Amino acid sequence: MTESVRRDDNLTSLIEINHLVKIFPPNVVALNDVSVDFQEGEIHAIVGENGAGKSTLMKILYGMIPADSGEILYRGKPIHFANPGEAIRSKIGMVHQEILLIPQYTVWENVILGMEPLGKFNRIHRDLARKQVQDRIDEFQFNLDPDAKVEDLSVAARQKVEILKLLYRDVTFLILDEPTAVLTPQEIPQLFDELRRLRNNGHTIAFISHHLDEVLELSDRISVLRKGKKVATIPASQTSESLLAEMMVGREVVFESIKETVRPGKLIFRLQNIRLQSPNKKKLLDDVNIEVKAGEIVGIAGVEGNGQLELVEVITGLATPDQGQLLINGVNLTKASILERRKYMAFVPQDRALMGSCLNASIKENLIMTHYKLNPEFTRHGHILNDKKSTEFAYEIREKFDIQLHSIEDEMKSLSGGNQQKVILGRELLLSAPFILLDQPTRGLDVGSIEYVHQQIIRMSKENRAILLLSSDLEELFRITDRILVLHRGQIVANLITNETNINEVGYLMLEGAAHGA
Amino acid sequence: MAHNLRNILINLAGILIAFLLGAVVMIFQGYNPLETYEALFGYSLGNTYSFMTVLKNSVPLILTGLSASVAFASGPVNLGQPGQLLMGALFATVGGLYVNLPSVLMIPFLLVSAMVGGALWSGIAGLLKRLFNMDEYITTLMMNMIADFFTYWAITYPFFEKNANHPQTPRITKNGWMPEIGDFNTNFLVTLIVFVIIWFIFYRTTNGYEWRISGKNSLFARLGGVEIEKNYMHVMLLTGALAGLAGGLIIMAGPHRFIKGLGANYAWDGIMVSMVANNGIVATLIYGIFFSILQTGALGMELITQVPSELITVLQAVIVLVVVASRGYFTLLLSKMMTKRKLKERSA
Repeated sequence: MTESVRRDDNLTSLIEINHLVKIFPPNVVALNDVSVDFQEGEIHAIVGENGAGKSTLMKILYGMIPADSGEILYRGKPIHFANPGEAIRSKIGMVHQEILLIPQYTVWENVILGMEPLGKFNRIHRDLARKQVQDRIDEFQFNLDPDAKVEDLSVAARQKVEILKLLYRDVTFLILDEPTAVLTPQEIPQLFDELRRLRNNGHTIAFISHHLDEVLELSDRISVLRKGKKVATIPASQTSESLLAEMMVGREVVFESIKETVRPGKLIFRLQNIRLQSPNKKKLLDDVNIEVKAGEIVGIAGVEGNGQLELVEVITGLATPDQGQLLINGVNLTKASILERRKYMAFVPQDRALMGSCLNASIKENLIMTHYKLNPEFTRHGHILNDKKSTEFAYEIREKFDIQLHSIEDEMKSLSGGNQQKVILGRELLLSAPFILLDQPTRGLDVGSIEYVHQQIIRMSKENRAILLLSSDLEELFRITDRILVLHRGQIVANLITNETNINEVGYLMLEGAAHGA
Repeated sequence: MAHNLRNILINLAGILIAFLLGAVVMIFQGYNPLETYEALFGYSLGNTYSFMTVLKNSVPLILTGLSASVAFASGPVNLGQPGQLLMGALFATVGGLYVNLPSVLMIPFLLVSAMVGGALWSGIAGLLKRLFNMDEYITTLMMNMIADFFTYWAITYPFFEKNANHPQTPRITKNGWMPEIGDFNTNFLVTLIVFVIIWFIFYRTTNGYEWRISGKNSLFARLGGVEIEKNYMHVMLLTGALAGLAGGLIIMAGPHRFIKGLGANYAWDGIMVSMVANNGIVATLIYGIFFSILQTGALGMELITQVPSELITVLQAVIVLVVVASRGYFTLLLSKMMTKRKLKERSA
């Protein structure tokens, strides 16, 4: 690095991203004309909800996926990385959420992998390699033993090894994708100290997170993304959690409840003292109690990553809680198979492509899932599919849920997102289950479809079903729920009656985990 | 319908390109491609006898192909067709050496024995997965080796034909031979019946529905209440039985005894058939017959022209590569077109 280049840096940004567009066919616009600049020696946070485009932006910068249009300037010069190797040669590196190390190798072996210093006869110069790694550890005060095997290390230490790997390659621009997601609360401050030390050494850090408190504490500047667009870039000193939250979820608009208050019926759904820990002893769910009565819509509010995923897994049976019970209609389902649970439970997952449907199967085949198991009309002699019934059923759902489609034999992926969601919703709501679990049922839908989905949910509550709705959209919660529970770091920190609270109170609880002044 | 038509066109285009590439190879070697292809098809489709031979030879290709297609389309990566075929052949041979019933009973008995042999072999791999979480694509491959040497031992020692000068068993009872109607060997009839049954199970029953959906998105199937583990075992047993049946039919239609090196490449060719067929059940039948045409015709090609029959191996490989590649390329092309359209919409 020559002096003349250094002087230029004071004038230009280190990295400038201009008008980036990324489309995932058929119709997801992941990045819609996004421009961000990173200045040398800053910690720059990228915040936004899931699906806002944070990870896509970083993956493009790191050369993992190509952009469809737009440009990236590195010290004023246009660059284009075809793969991460090229990015690393230009001193840009990324630490992924999932840690990718070889568990059986030691720390130093993992660090040098792919860049081994060679001695005589092209053998790895072990002593030199080990010393180089030790030097880096000392330089950045990483508190790691270079000879420790990675499989014996904590998640936090493994993350350090990942960062060390990049530093060993002389990376000066580090991208961290939700580095705190895998850490326990006690481990987070140490990571932050190390990142600050790196910045003070002249490194530039881009940092993706959902947690606004962390973002404000650590970063110099913050860029907010929402639905593929950049909302703003602001110095951390000039903003607050509530301002950021507002930018993340959208302008504070006037909205009103469309849910009539009902006298709740008998208790249908009951989650008692649920506890769940990650393998590294992080408390994912901490003594969670939830009750939903017939005709009631209960919302779960919370910033993503505070236990929503685990809560859904425990209820659907994908995860087994370490402690606690799940009862529906008084039946203990804590250890029941998924099939057994599905007799009592309809479920609309947040991920349409992965959990909610099979994109490569026909619409009809998607619609009969679960029904063919629970309703004998769908089969003949127990094992042969009754195609006539399936077809009638498909047309019935198309009618009732107003699904726009060419043919029920077409593949699911030929439908738009909104229509796919209607297929899933129709299938699940027509199950005669007393309890309905909805996980972000309107994510990625347009306004019209959202309105439609809300009306269907209300209709279900009028049929006396018990409904639990997880949503990161506060407007949605205020619009259709009777009660709102706030999930914060795996705990239910508040149980509020929707009509008696307001968006500020819930927003504050989501971020802080406690009420004002508490 | 449009979807099916597109698929057929992609496949035909792939085969055409492969034949052109084959022609280029021949020209480089100094052979006349037109003459060669004429000999190839003349010898496989030129007269009734040739075509009946094609059908007879297609049986192991189709059955092992169906085995692979059903397995791959349902999720389990059963690569054990070679071993399952050998075990099926051994079971049918041993049954035919020690049991003697009238033909009406003997033939079904041997067919079932062959299926039991194959299913036993794939079932062990299924159990290893359930008990020790060992991946079937490793265990089935390893068990191919074991089956290879186990059957070799079986025909060298316990079931060895005295006075034979290389490892082979005596002939099985005549009551267990697949009858021939003129030049038509009924082994193809059995294969057609099995094809219809498999098609029905796969596309018309709840089990087939569950397998197909699990093969495409197992998490979705699981959340919908499908019992993934039970289905896994069923698929392993069924696909093992299919490969085993292929082995049994080789014995019963052909040499009527287990000879060393029997069925050498049939099962691997079957896996190849399932790959070009994109695991489709009907496509597997068609490609099974098509590859049999090539392989049967290769002998005639070698007799009539100077082109060595190995060229057919090259041609087969090229067909697999070109068809699979054009399928992938077409999808890529489609999504690129969509991205372009979106970009245009945005700038408009």
